[in-house]
Amino acid sequence: MDTTRTKDIYTEEFLINMGPQHPSTHGVLSLELKLDGEIIRECTPHIGYLHRSMEKIAENRTYTQFIPFTDRIDYVASMNNNLGYVMAVEKLLNLEVSERAKYIRVIVAELNRIASHLIAVGTFAQDLGAFATPLFYCFREREKIIDIFDQICGNRLTYNYIRIGGVQFDLPRGIDEKIKEFVNYMRPKVDDYDNLLTYNTIFLARSKNIGVLPKDLAINYSVTGPSLRASGVKWDLRKDEPYLVYNKFEFDIPVGENGDSWDRYKIRIEEIRQSLRIVEQAIDALPGGEPTVKVGRIHKPAPSEAYFRTENPRGELGFYIVSDGSMYPYRLKIRAPSFSNLAVLPELVKGVKVADIVCVLGSFDVLMGEIDR
Amino acid sequence: MLSILDFIWVLIIGLIVLAFIAVSAMFLIWWERKVSAHIQSRLGPMRVGWHGVLQSVADTIKLLLKENIIPAGADKMIWWLAPFFAVVPPVMAFVVIPFGKNLIVKDLNVGILYIMAISSVCVLGIFMAGWGSNNKYSLLGGMRSAAQIISYELPLILSMIIVSMQANSLSMQKIVAAQSGHWNILHPNMMLAFIVYIISATAEVNRVPFDIPEAESELVAGFHTEYSGMKFAMFFIGEYTNLFLISAIATTLFFGGWLGPILPPVIWFLIKTYGIVSILMWVRWTFPRLRVDQLMGFAWKVLTPVSFFNLAITGWLLLK
Amino acid sequence: MVVIKMIKHTKNFVIGTLSLIKGLAVTMKYVFRPAVTLQYPTEKQPMSERFRGLVGLHPEKCIVCLQCMKMCPTACLAITHKQEDKKKTLETFKYNMELCCFCGLCAQVCPTGAIIMTDIYEISVYDRKKLDINLLNVKKYDEWTHTTVK
Repeated sequence: MDTTRTKDIYTEEFLINMGPQHPSTHGVLSLELKLDGEIIRECTPHIGYLHRSMEKIAENRTYTQFIPFTDRIDYVASMNNNLGYVMAVEKLLNLEVSERAKYIRVIVAELNRIASHLIAVGTFAQDLGAFATPLFYCFREREKIIDIFDQICGNRLTYNYIRIGGVQFDLPRGIDEKIKEFVNYMRPKVDDYDNLLTYNTIFLARSKNIGVLPKDLAINYSVTGPSLRASGVKWDLRKDEPYLVYNKFEFDIPVGENGDSWDRYKIRIEEIRQSLRIVEQAIDALPGGEPTVKVGRIHKPAPSEAYFRTENPRGELGFYIVSDGSMYPYRLKIRAPSFSNLAVLPELVKGVKVADIVCVLGSFDVLMGEIDR
Repeated sequence: MLSILDFIWVLIIGLIVLAFIAVSAMFLIWWERKVSAHIQSRLGPMRVGWHGVLQSVADTIKLLLKENIIPAGADKMIWWLAPFFAVVPPVMAFVVIPFGKNLIVKDLNVGILYIMAISSVCVLGIFMAGWGSNNKYSLLGGMRSAAQIISYELPLILSMIIVSMQANSLSMQKIVAAQSGHWNILHPNMMLAFIVYIISATAEVNRVPFDIPEAESELVAGFHTEYSGMKFAMFFIGEYTNLFLISAIATTLFFGGWLGPILPPVIWFLIKTYGIVSILMWVRWTFPRLRVDQLMGFAWKVLTPVSFFNLAITGWLLLK
Repeated sequence: MVVIKMIKHTKNFVIGTLSLIKGLAVTMKYVFRPAVTLQYPTEKQPMSERFRGLVGLHPEKCIVCLQCMKMCPTACLAITHKQEDKKKTLETFKYNMELCCFCGLCAQVCPTGAIIMTDIYEISVYDRKKLDINLLNVKKYDEWTHTTVK
């Protein structure tokens, strides 16, 4: 505690705990703030409230049994987690999947990216004070995506759909019309968000030049995902290390200029538009064939290790698996994007006001399930 | 020397006004929930009564039955008195609101001055709640609110003065009577005064985009975090009464009060007031909120110079 | 110089106000469109045919291969059987609803389709002991779910 004594009055720094239960810390995150009036001098995040020891559990589950657990790492973008894990295991087993399975995986992963970005946009607007309206609009759109997923795999949040060797079921009949209908429904709605929020004077005044993340700091802290692209670094794993069939589609990577909160928000809106383009192209080009390759239930890969990284909506999600020949992995390590993204927060909030820390935290779109696993 | 009859008459008038305010606050709470629901593509309260009209009654009964929790270490006298300072000033200002041609409690000939004086007392309630709760979040809310309300007093008063300059009087009924040819809003300097007035009034009653004191996402619930049950209900009723009050004043000053053809004057007054209330609710559910320093910057650097400029223009127009 | 600044400020001001009005127009648009919510519990949304709700059992189809028990990631199934010279019959089939994560792996791996995922999703109980049920005792199973296992 820093106290300065002048002749008659002395001022103290004010320690406040934006505790684990708070309406806008996106999960159970505890931020210890040292305030000087309204200005923040120091910020220390405390994590670990949602630790469920997933990596240790993985050492006692077979490769197929662990897939429901990967759903729950990043519960908002469940398909992308399944995808990352399954591709790491397939790299370990040297397994190739059919073309139809690759296209289905791309469609499903991109739809989930849209759903995850909708939550990011809605909660960011709510943190800034537009109390419930953008959030309800985003959830209304997300409901349509979840209905599509409900018909594909049977569940609304934790899908457990992408399996080793392909996907669990083939797409049901009539689903491509529904997906095309959704794409046409969603496009004007993104323009609605632009009109309602993106260029709104109050919104701009609240989020422009707040929490500016310079390029070298972002690279040093290994920030990935939209937060990195907002700082001016053009790095997206779908273009730079293409996996599945991303090299067959035409889409742009939006890059920001300033690295402030508005840029991070704007890039997410642009990514929704680009994902809609990918989904449209993928649905039109969907080949026939089998959705799964025949594999057994129990996999016993040779003793080796594999690391595979995919582009999660929040950044780069990596799975590192070491196997020792038995049916359980020896060690499974998950590289969560929000963990590195959150680590840069204390650097950015020195000298801003309390209202801005909520804005910066919301623009990074961290998810505590990923950080604590 | 008051006779018994006068005393009973005063009591009846007071009870009528209080009854109107209570019913009006409950109706406004229901109306706000319905407006917000329809903006957000949902339906709002639908179960209690026809389309949820009796929802406010159910909520009041629930709040009456809640446990009264006094925070440890709270300054008891200040903490206990704060809700009264939030409710009583708006109710007192209803004395000079003209509901109809002769439907006014007392047409004071310093009506506007009385309203300005009373509404400045509202800030005390928030400040006392913030300090007395012994809670860092509430204290932050109370401090911010005091700063905000004091900053926005000046543009508010200046825009009200412009209207009384035009009507040559401070009394509310005379201002309404001066608009019998055409409403005040139709003059361009009055239009500017109306815009300044409505922005400052929204800031005075702590509504979005100026609701920093109860900024839900930063300070949980701001200065009324530690209140539960009926005390919380009093803050709530105070806020909605204030909302009705500023809309009623806007109607009287700028939109011609109870003037209007065919329908009885009370109906016109209520239609105009609820129209302005609905517009304020529409604004609330659309915009994000401003940060404290931006709010103060806006008040001192934009609204106050504009109101002074407007005052000068009005003076010049009147002298011509 | 001052004039240029004044023009810039006025331009910013006008653009700002227009953006606010555009936002208000978007919000007003949705006031007149129908609501998208359902009044639960009087109106319920029908579930899709692949919906993964509560686990159900057709005991006559079960060949007691125990694959579902081995496959479950959370070990929520506990099966005991009686063996009478090469023919296995089920004795108890306990299912712990608290541990089930509704992943559908047991239904996928069953060779005869004896264990299925029903579409029951309203499964709150007041007493924790009711969560550990014996799927062979079907009558007790639907006395609190109000639907029958198909």
